Amino acid sequence: MVFSSLLFLFRFLPAVLLVYYIVPRSLRNFVLLLFSLIFYAWGEPVYIILMLVSILVSYTGGIFVGHFRKTGKKKASKTALVVSFVISLSLLIFFKYADFVIETINKFPGTYVDAWHIALPIGISFYTFQTMSYVIDVYRGEAPVQKNLISFGAYVTMFPQLIAGPIVRYKTIDEQLRRRRETISQFAEGVHRFMIGLGKKVLIANNVGALWNTIQAFNYSEVPVLTAWMGLAAFTFQIYFDFSAYSDMAIGLGDMFGFRFLENFNYPYISKSITEFWRRWHISLGTWFREYVYIPLGGNRGSRKQHIRNILIVWFLTGIWHGASWNFVAWGAYYGMLLLVEKYVLGKYLKCLPDIVRHIYCMFFVMLGWNLFAFDDMRSGLEFMKALFGMHGQNLLNRETIYLLYNHIFLLFMCIFGSTELPGRIGKWFCGRLSEKRIIQSILKNGYYICVFILSIAWLVDASFNPFLYFRF
Amino acid sequence: MDLKKNRWQPWLTALIFCILIFGFTVVTLIKSPLEFSETENRVLAQKPEVKSEAVMNGKFGAEYEKYLTDQFVFRDDWIGLKTSVEKLLLKRESKDIYFAEDGYFIEKHTGCFTTDMARRNITALTQFIEKYNEQFGTGHMTIMVIPNAVDILQDKLPPFAGPGGGMKYLEELAKALPEDVWFDAASILNQHRDEELFYRTDHHWKTLAAFYVYQAWVKEQGYTFPNLGDYKIRTVTDDFQGTVQSKLGIQTAGDTIELFFSQNAGSYVVQKDDSIGYSIYNYTALDTKDKYAVYFGGNEAFLKIRTEKDNGRKILVIKDSYANCFIPFMLEEFQEIDVLDLRYTNERLSNLIEKGGYTDLLILYNVSGFAEDMSVMKFTN
Repeated sequence: MVFSSLLFLFRFLPAVLLVYYIVPRSLRNFVLLLFSLIFYAWGEPVYIILMLVSILVSYTGGIFVGHFRKTGKKKASKTALVVSFVISLSLLIFFKYADFVIETINKFPGTYVDAWHIALPIGISFYTFQTMSYVIDVYRGEAPVQKNLISFGAYVTMFPQLIAGPIVRYKTIDEQLRRRRETISQFAEGVHRFMIGLGKKVLIANNVGALWNTIQAFNYSEVPVLTAWMGLAAFTFQIYFDFSAYSDMAIGLGDMFGFRFLENFNYPYISKSITEFWRRWHISLGTWFREYVYIPLGGNRGSRKQHIRNILIVWFLTGIWHGASWNFVAWGAYYGMLLLVEKYVLGKYLKCLPDIVRHIYCMFFVMLGWNLFAFDDMRSGLEFMKALFGMHGQNLLNRETIYLLYNHIFLLFMCIFGSTELPGRIGKWFCGRLSEKRIIQSILKNGYYICVFILSIAWLVDASFNPFLYFRF
Repeated sequence: MDLKKNRWQPWLTALIFCILIFGFTVVTLIKSPLEFSETENRVLAQKPEVKSEAVMNGKFGAEYEKYLTDQFVFRDDWIGLKTSVEKLLLKRESKDIYFAEDGYFIEKHTGCFTTDMARRNITALTQFIEKYNEQFGTGHMTIMVIPNAVDILQDKLPPFAGPGGGMKYLEELAKALPEDVWFDAASILNQHRDEELFYRTDHHWKTLAAFYVYQAWVKEQGYTFPNLGDYKIRTVTDDFQGTVQSKLGIQTAGDTIELFFSQNAGSYVVQKDDSIGYSIYNYTALDTKDKYAVYFGGNEAFLKIRTEKDNGRKILVIKDSYANCFIPFMLEEFQEIDVLDLRYTNERLSNLIEKGGYTDLLILYNVSGFAEDMSVMKFTN
């Protein structure tokens, strides 16, 4: 089930809210667990078993790790960690990468292995990273053992973040799982956050995604340069508005149930360097890799050689986490290289440049990165990239370029505007000016959210283009 | 900070939110489901049954979502709201439909001419023609594939909008077929492009356009051809909201439907299955949404029409709905007209032709319909 559907809005959400707030506090984690399982099972009834196995593995792992830790058996504790880690990771690798490995092997001459055609369980990358974070946190003593299987299950399956993140590290939420106070002001905050997320997904991401779909279907050897750039810009906006919208909705829903999830996006497209971009983009994933891979490897402490190795390992893994395909590996490696170049070569020069130049530099490479990301088939990805630079000898623009541009001008404007901090600032400024007139302020604010909601429903009822982009993750 | 003063605000937000989600939930739960959407002219999805197998393979989930979307309260108004907002934001198209000049809504038909099916259909038709060309002989077999509005009304498209792919596909089709069977309807329509050739809100051509093509066809065959003045033209409705309007959900000025009554037409008999009728027009359709069904009451798998003519000409028309407003003109020329819609029949075409003793054959489709029609494969049966 996805958030941006009538089914979620008018069947699932009211049901879970109603039951959650009717039952006594002690049963609320159970309610969350139960509804989250229904949420997941709606689209993936069979793979729910896999998720339950994954939960049991890390639950038991956590208990053993914690037990040995308490009794001072360091080695045994480490063994328990490794065992649970290996099982979780094997499940992920098997279900996500087996066919990819087979395909790659088959590319070598003289080998042929039948592919297994395993359908990727939705959200497996997200929940596996969460269960792994738990066992590691327990091992490090950063989080206590969660003995309550229901609470632990609720943590892993929690529907707001189950299928598209953010990746919630166990230690950030342990306290909230044990005791949390739902308040009306947090609920209201969550409502606003959720509606904004819904609007971003349905009104912006889906529409600009449709533009990308149109341009993606063109013949790349004939597509004019500006059309190609418009297409890439459309994808750039689609992935940001889609992904950050899911995070907004997740955070908003979390708020409705009294949870505080950490922010996942912080206006990545206003960045002035690649380093800054990755501090603002998919923060929960970056943090996960930093905490559980990069720093354990030694981070930037050892020699320069070690640092380079660590960066490349982390970015190889980041790349392949996004999907079992070579283009994601290339995309990860691309960012690893860019970050190294920025760190060791460009960084000092960049600082001297005016903001606007740095901004253009950053977005140029981010967009080229999305070019790699968008095409599973790297050959067509390359063809598209050639089109961006006019290397097919095409025109700069044609009548279709103009047609597409003026048809989407408002949408593209909204995308640019919405990628900056301006909307938030304007909102705050308005509220500040109206702070004395609470009623008007309230009418305007709620009116705005209602409009976004109503329009989103209209787009959903029309069943227009509404893709789910994270099947590969 | 005077938090106390502010305390009602979050309650208000929560209240509004709950009213919205619980309100729509309750309303959609108690609303009794419709079988059929008049506006969209299609059967709506119904609540799926809970069966363990369907639940386990995710089919139930998918069908339930479809049911919820199809049966959502005020469905047409939501879709209309979306279209209106898109228009307001300067978009000149929605759902592959151009908001064209003079109130025309014109379907783009993007992508339907480059599919495998579009190519296969050309091959199927070519094979059929090769098989029967000799049997019917020159001048007795005609293929007319009518371009759609987007191909003819190019002046009315929004600025810089590209032409549709229909004309290119027609050229391919013409090239694949023997010259003497192809009738170039596109150039006839192009000569009259400033007249009312297509409905503004529907995907069909108007009766006037059918007349021009009929006239040119008879003329080419060397028979006496009618003139516009030979007809009494009756406008039977001015409130036709067609299929294209349905997709957009917005209310627009209705289209008119004109019926052409020839001064020199005699009476005729229409035989459908075992029932006999005396009119090709079904005026009750004018009281429904699907007013184009005034011709023959809609598409029928097979019809036999017998006129008072005595010239021995017996024609088989293999067609889609574009032919429905074309066939009335043929009553003046043929003794017998058999009308076959391959989409709704399973009878073998070769049997029918063998038994029928036809002197002539006409194949009439619209171009996007032809390219997208699975049943064109039945030509090879």
